[in-house]
Amino acid sequence: MTPARKKLFRLPWRTARQIRDDVDEELRFHLDMRIAALVSLGVSPDAARAQAAREFGDVDDARRYIGAVDRDIEAAQRRSDFMSDLWHDIGYSIRKLRAAPLFTLAAIATLGLGIGANTAIFSVVNGVLLKPLPFPRADHLVRLRFTQQGHSDVATPMDLVDNRTRATNFVGFSVIEGTTANLSRDNADAERVQGVRVNANWFSLLRIAPLAGRFFVEGDDDASAPNVAVIGEQLWQRDFGGDKSVIGKTVRINSTPFTIVGVVPGDQRYPVTVELWMTKHWAPNELSDQSRGARWLGLMGRVKDGVDVAAADNEVEKISEAMEKQFPEPFRERRVHLVSVQEFLVGDLRKPLFIVLGAVTLVLLIACANVANLMLVRATAREGEMAVRTALGAGRGRLVRQLMTESVILSLVGAIVGLAVAKLAMHELLGLAPPNLPLLRTASIDGTTLAVTAIVALLTGMIFGVMPAMQVGKHDLATALRAGSRGTRTRPATNRTKQAIVVAEVAVAVTLLTGAGLLLHSFANLLSVDPGFRTDGVLSMKLLLPQRSYDSTTIRNFVRALETRARALPGVRSVGLANFIPLDGGREDYAFSIRGRPPVRPSDAPSTEARKISPDFFATMGMPIVRGRSIASTDVPGAPPVLVVNHAFAQAFFPNEDPLGKTIVLGWGGDPGGDAREIVGIVGDVHSFGLEEAPEPTVYAPMAQRTDQSISIVVRTDGAPANLAAPLRALVRDLDREVPAYSVQTMDERVASSVGRQRFYASLIAIFAAVALILSAVGLYGVIAYAVSQRTHELGVRVALGATGDRIARMVIGEGLVLTAIGIIMGALASVFAGRLVSSLLFGVSALDPMTIGSVTLVLVAVAALASWLPARRAARVDPLIAMRGD
Amino acid sequence: MTVQPLDLLQGTLDVLVLRTLAWGTMHGYAVSRWIHQRTDGVLEIEDAPLYKSLHRLERAGYVSAEWGLSENNRRARYYSLTAAGRRQFAAEESAWRRYAEAVFKVLEPT
Repeated sequence: MTPARKKLFRLPWRTARQIRDDVDEELRFHLDMRIAALVSLGVSPDAARAQAAREFGDVDDARRYIGAVDRDIEAAQRRSDFMSDLWHDIGYSIRKLRAAPLFTLAAIATLGLGIGANTAIFSVVNGVLLKPLPFPRADHLVRLRFTQQGHSDVATPMDLVDNRTRATNFVGFSVIEGTTANLSRDNADAERVQGVRVNANWFSLLRIAPLAGRFFVEGDDDASAPNVAVIGEQLWQRDFGGDKSVIGKTVRINSTPFTIVGVVPGDQRYPVTVELWMTKHWAPNELSDQSRGARWLGLMGRVKDGVDVAAADNEVEKISEAMEKQFPEPFRERRVHLVSVQEFLVGDLRKPLFIVLGAVTLVLLIACANVANLMLVRATAREGEMAVRTALGAGRGRLVRQLMTESVILSLVGAIVGLAVAKLAMHELLGLAPPNLPLLRTASIDGTTLAVTAIVALLTGMIFGVMPAMQVGKHDLATALRAGSRGTRTRPATNRTKQAIVVAEVAVAVTLLTGAGLLLHSFANLLSVDPGFRTDGVLSMKLLLPQRSYDSTTIRNFVRALETRARALPGVRSVGLANFIPLDGGREDYAFSIRGRPPVRPSDAPSTEARKISPDFFATMGMPIVRGRSIASTDVPGAPPVLVVNHAFAQAFFPNEDPLGKTIVLGWGGDPGGDAREIVGIVGDVHSFGLEEAPEPTVYAPMAQRTDQSISIVVRTDGAPANLAAPLRALVRDLDREVPAYSVQTMDERVASSVGRQRFYASLIAIFAAVALILSAVGLYGVIAYAVSQRTHELGVRVALGATGDRIARMVIGEGLVLTAIGIIMGALASVFAGRLVSSLLFGVSALDPMTIGSVTLVLVAVAALASWLPARRAARVDPLIAMRGD
Repeated sequence: MTVQPLDLLQGTLDVLVLRTLAWGTMHGYAVSRWIHQRTDGVLEIEDAPLYKSLHRLERAGYVSAEWGLSENNRRARYYSLTAAGRRQFAAEESAWRRYAEAVFKVLEPT
């Protein structure tokens, strides 16, 4: 047998038993031949048999050896057959796929979108929610979350003392005090960095090691200890070029000299936005029972390794209860719970991210449904081909293999496109994300996710891809062949599968669109909220005057100089100052009493937000005075102390009285008896903490009478406010080189970034909904177009019998709309549940908003009509002669 | 060709089988008889190693095998040289000749 023949005809594969039989037969032939030859020479049969055996040697050994060699040969043959079949299949598949470019492109695009979007979103969810923080036993790192009388609360210095001395289940505790730090180095402008003050045990609680230098050691937080600071890796690289000699260097933080002792690895910063760690030094009276009412700290602890976090939680609750018994007044109805630092960091994100994940899973589902549909449509079209190949001797296994190869090639290309989509989507996602979403920036593409998603898509393709081969065996070849290679037969069963898939797709698209509609609607509601001030034409900026170099007199001088010089800048119409401005996140709350009303227990005393402003602040911000007067330039130290209250304050505390002329006693330090101030005016409400938050009762005191280290400046101009940024910065630098201006933003920008999260979620879901809509339109189009092509003959007969083109088109569109209608009804039912899921993210719109559901229905009907109109137009143009000649 | 003393018989046998099949396609019994007659029974070759050699050469791709009908109408396994087998035989033959000449040079009285 020559090698060329071997390629043409493949020998059937042999089993181990057949090999053994072949070997036996070959050896028996030899012995029989030899015996016959000897007998013909006159040897007796017995002697001949004996001689043949002797000449042969060890038969059993030979049989074993030859059997083993033949099995090797067989295995090698199978391998080479498999490889050559594979190459053949790949070549054939690529030719087949290129012959149907529309199908191929649609399938690859569908897979790419589904795989890519899913990978990107799951990578984000994994990076943000599921991946633990980079600390050993991070699950034992906990924050103490306090509430009092149902409101969220923070820690007093005495919470540290109480827990440190009483709790036995903890390695230790540390406070966290957020602080803004003006960092000045030699020969450089001061910069503002996010800092934090903590106990000396902070880094040993985190269990991390410094990148350079050392961390805090015991005693670093003693009142007499020298000032030391630890910096983050990013700051180290940015300001010191990553030079190790920075250790031991002195910098000025808020004008106080600090020695840098260590560097924190960039990915192990906690809290994540902090770049500068200092030790907390306590004032003598801060660690005493008098400070139990003062709440401004965060508290972190580490639970001992062998201890259950639930047991530790129980312990801090017990301690809290004991303290409430001992100090009933400041601690009335105060509760505490442990939350892991991770939960503390991302707890708010959990729900929105899981909703987004759910949405993207639906998109993947639609993608899979589309692939299944495309495969089915193609399968039906290929029945003829399958029948021909079967008739030519291809086994069903062989057909399955070839179709599998086709599906795998499609899925692989889809997965590659998906990876590209995921990369792009991640980039866009992170760009779209508001900066206040922690950890989001650390997310990267997750290999496992990509693999899992790709496998899901691959399986879908394979399951539906091999269907044509499965169907070949079910009916007889002759029928399939007679029906012709045009594949004009349609089985109702496959049609029903395809229609069910389209209905499901439409239903999922309706659900997604409804969710997107609700989120977009509430986003629009949010944007239409009047913030209470004019957002256009105002630039704002913040700075911090360090306590070390500023007392109330120097602050007043600084403020006066800043105000005067800012007003002199070209284009400036008015200048206002305040300690906090709306939407900057800053707030201070103080208890107060109203003079002339019966006294109440301290814990029942009402509290209000209190701010300090300059005379022109309201005018600059465009906040209207409702009654009385604004803060005036005559409200200076020595003049009568005054207050302006907002509308919400007047409503809450003087519902049936005129607040003007009443006196409020604010407990904001200074005089132990409180600071008595007369209400001289009422100003309009402002959404200070976000457009979705209702305005809170607020009082405004003159800045000249109550100075503050924290200064915000707002400047109104007729021109573009952003142009004032540079001159204002320069002005501040000129006044004090160690005071950097930060958070320089127009008020429009502040409003926009305050709704950043909502915009992020709404745009994400909207993108998914758009993808879902497109995919289901493609699916619907595919099914209708295919149905039309199947019925060319029938339509031709109808036209011949007098049906008009319009009539035919209406009939085809009607079929598409029936499928859509069923899908919409099912989707609307699912939306009821989906709406309930997103209801906590909604603002001013009900989860069952009829407007949204109505418009979604309209959009889908329109898209479905379009998707069916295209094939319907083709159906209407059917030429009966051509259609019937085709038979 | 480098020949290890222990490989001598096996290697020699492979060359003899390749040489025999160079005459044409034949079954194992014919190969056995042919070698027997050509060596006048001097080498006393058993048939078991001969068949091992045939299958080994088949695995190496030097020989291909096919079932066919023998002269007395029985199913027999016919062997023939492949192109690779022909090349292998040419290489081994010249190596063997050089080897044998070298041995003779030593043995010949000078």
